[in-house]
Amino acid sequence: MVFDYLASGLVFSSIIVLGSIGLSLIYSIADFANFAHGDTMTVGAYAAFLTFGAVGGLGGSVLGLPLGFFVALVAGIVVAAVVAVLTEKVVYDGMNAGSIELLITSIGIAFVYRAIIQIGFGADFTRYEVQTLRPIEALLPYGIRVTQHDVAIVLSALVLVGSLHTLLQYSDLGRKMRAMADNPDLARVSGIRTDRVKLWTWIIGAGLAGSGGVFLGLYNQLSPRMGFNLLLLIFAAVILGGIGSVYGAMLGGFLIGMINQLTPVLSDIALLTDMGALLPLVPDSFGITIGIEYANAIAFVIMVAVLLVRPNGIAGEAT
Amino acid sequence: MSALSDPKGYWADLTRSEQGVLAFIVGFAGLLLVGLLTGALAPTYFLYLVGLAGMYALLSFGLNSQWGFTGLINFSVAAFFGVGAYGTALMSASSSPIAGDVLPIVGLVVALGVAALLALAIGIPTLRLRADYLAIASLGLAEVVRLVVLNERQFTNGSAGVRGIPPFFEGVPVLATLPETMPGLAVRPLPGTTIVLETPFWSALLNVAIVLGFVGISYAVLRRAHRSPWGRVLRTIRSDEDLARALGKNTYGFKMQSFVLGSVIMALAGVFYAHLNLFVSPGDLDPVTTFYVWVAVILGGSGSNRGALFGGFVIVAIREGTRFLNEFAWIPIDVAPLRLLLIGVLIVVLMRYRPQGVLPPQRELIWPKVVDEAPDRPDSGVREAKAGGGDD
Repeated sequence: MVFDYLASGLVFSSIIVLGSIGLSLIYSIADFANFAHGDTMTVGAYAAFLTFGAVGGLGGSVLGLPLGFFVALVAGIVVAAVVAVLTEKVVYDGMNAGSIELLITSIGIAFVYRAIIQIGFGADFTRYEVQTLRPIEALLPYGIRVTQHDVAIVLSALVLVGSLHTLLQYSDLGRKMRAMADNPDLARVSGIRTDRVKLWTWIIGAGLAGSGGVFLGLYNQLSPRMGFNLLLLIFAAVILGGIGSVYGAMLGGFLIGMINQLTPVLSDIALLTDMGALLPLVPDSFGITIGIEYANAIAFVIMVAVLLVRPNGIAGEAT
Repeated sequence: MSALSDPKGYWADLTRSEQGVLAFIVGFAGLLLVGLLTGALAPTYFLYLVGLAGMYALLSFGLNSQWGFTGLINFSVAAFFGVGAYGTALMSASSSPIAGDVLPIVGLVVALGVAALLALAIGIPTLRLRADYLAIASLGLAEVVRLVVLNERQFTNGSAGVRGIPPFFEGVPVLATLPETMPGLAVRPLPGTTIVLETPFWSALLNVAIVLGFVGISYAVLRRAHRSPWGRVLRTIRSDEDLARALGKNTYGFKMQSFVLGSVIMALAGVFYAHLNLFVSPGDLDPVTTFYVWVAVILGGSGSNRGALFGGFVIVAIREGTRFLNEFAWIPIDVAPLRLLLIGVLIVVLMRYRPQGVLPPQRELIWPKVVDEAPDRPDSGVREAKAGGGDD
């Protein structure tokens, strides 16, 4: 059973990682906590939904997914990036405001995204019209139930994260982005066009979020609240990794996603459930059972613990 | 200078936006009066709306004393509201799974105590850090409180909610039975319309009296606190926390006090709501409530208590006004996303074009005596008074 949880944790954390990298990038370069990030993921998911409905399967299939789905994935990434850039240009860019005001504005933006999607598609759950697959036979003896779709999600996330790593480490843009995250004023006086770098940050961050949204829709279902519901997990991941650190966000996203899917294991731990029988002075019937409904609450507890012990996160510099 | 003795001078003394708001309030009140007199608006429903508006005003006061005074971003207004509502409901309701049938006054004390503890618990890890950490953590807190209320059925009845909450004055002599003992009245405000006032009307009136009491006390306390040296420190923290620290203030302590104070006021609104509605369910913890209150505070003017009061009333007008939209068949879509869109657009537009709100705090920050004794040009008087009063 634990192997199965680990496998689904891997799939789920790929999605969280895609969301948290973008949030962390925007946090460090645009310098505010973007509460609309979760809903940017929703935008990507629904853009892919529309595109997939329009182009259809296009024949052929990779890992159980028709080629048309990959077209839809690209469309989701592009639309999420375009929407984010438009929002930046129309709303955030003209505001002469500090990070706190931008933060409050971003929650308004989140509602606007969600409301428009809900008006267009209704509040109900939908699915991509992709054939649901049976779990891969070869892994069943080990108790692991993953489909080819799950493998596709993990592989695509790896490709995206890998190319981001290459971009950040070896390209000119990546060096400029790192410089700007480090010290925006110094970057500016060194001749870096910070406006342009900021725009690219929005494109990359929102694009990754869009892909995360598409995969989330494939992994679960689509609903207008899907991204907002994920926001708490993504923020927990970013804080755990250290705000502003992209690699921290990857690690944080991986851990939060894993822990989230491993929650059922908690109810199997005898120490917690039979605490009354094991400890003296406590009634025998006493026990803590943490059901899967508290998966998000665990992320919150981790986040608060990190803020208490090491507010700069794993990868952040200690104060 | 009073509005009654010198209405013309009072009007001239107001800023442009104050004049606009005053005209709006007078017009809206006139509209409501016409509705009441012609019988289009049932008096009991009208009083329920006033009660609801008072509740939103309380929530706005709470948020204003966090965000408006100190600059703390609290995205879990709904959670503190819910803690207040559930706190008193679980103590006093007949169907409560844990305590039950305790006097509502005791429930009030318990609810406020729990809210204060919760505020401390979330404040300790976040208030030492940058302001956005509190925003993120409080968004999570709201979700966790909702999850706990929904899933801990043995304590909260889960999604079934808590029924059988007594009215607020249960067990208090005279007041408890007042609505029943009041005679039924038939009023004829205009020829041809008859309005019968019976027990529901009197109990609604009693509820309005309670909420007006709560609002009045909170307003008086907050107004006094805002102008006091304590309030000045909070304002300093909001505009420049490093400055406040350099002046030797323990900013963490001040932020914590302001956060707990605001959360307790929000819980007070929840207590009132539980005794108004006589039923609470996890649906009352919907995070959207939080952002209604945010719109109220930003619209009214962050940091302004009367702005928060005004914003609270506007929000009820929006909420109850859009409810009727569903009855028009020609609108093809549900009202819920439209409301969400309206809130989102309001937040963005306000933050983008008028971050100070409709009634930004101006003279209300200063003792009125100082302004009245100022020389002819009140603007310079205000400035001098500010400079003179800010150095302690």
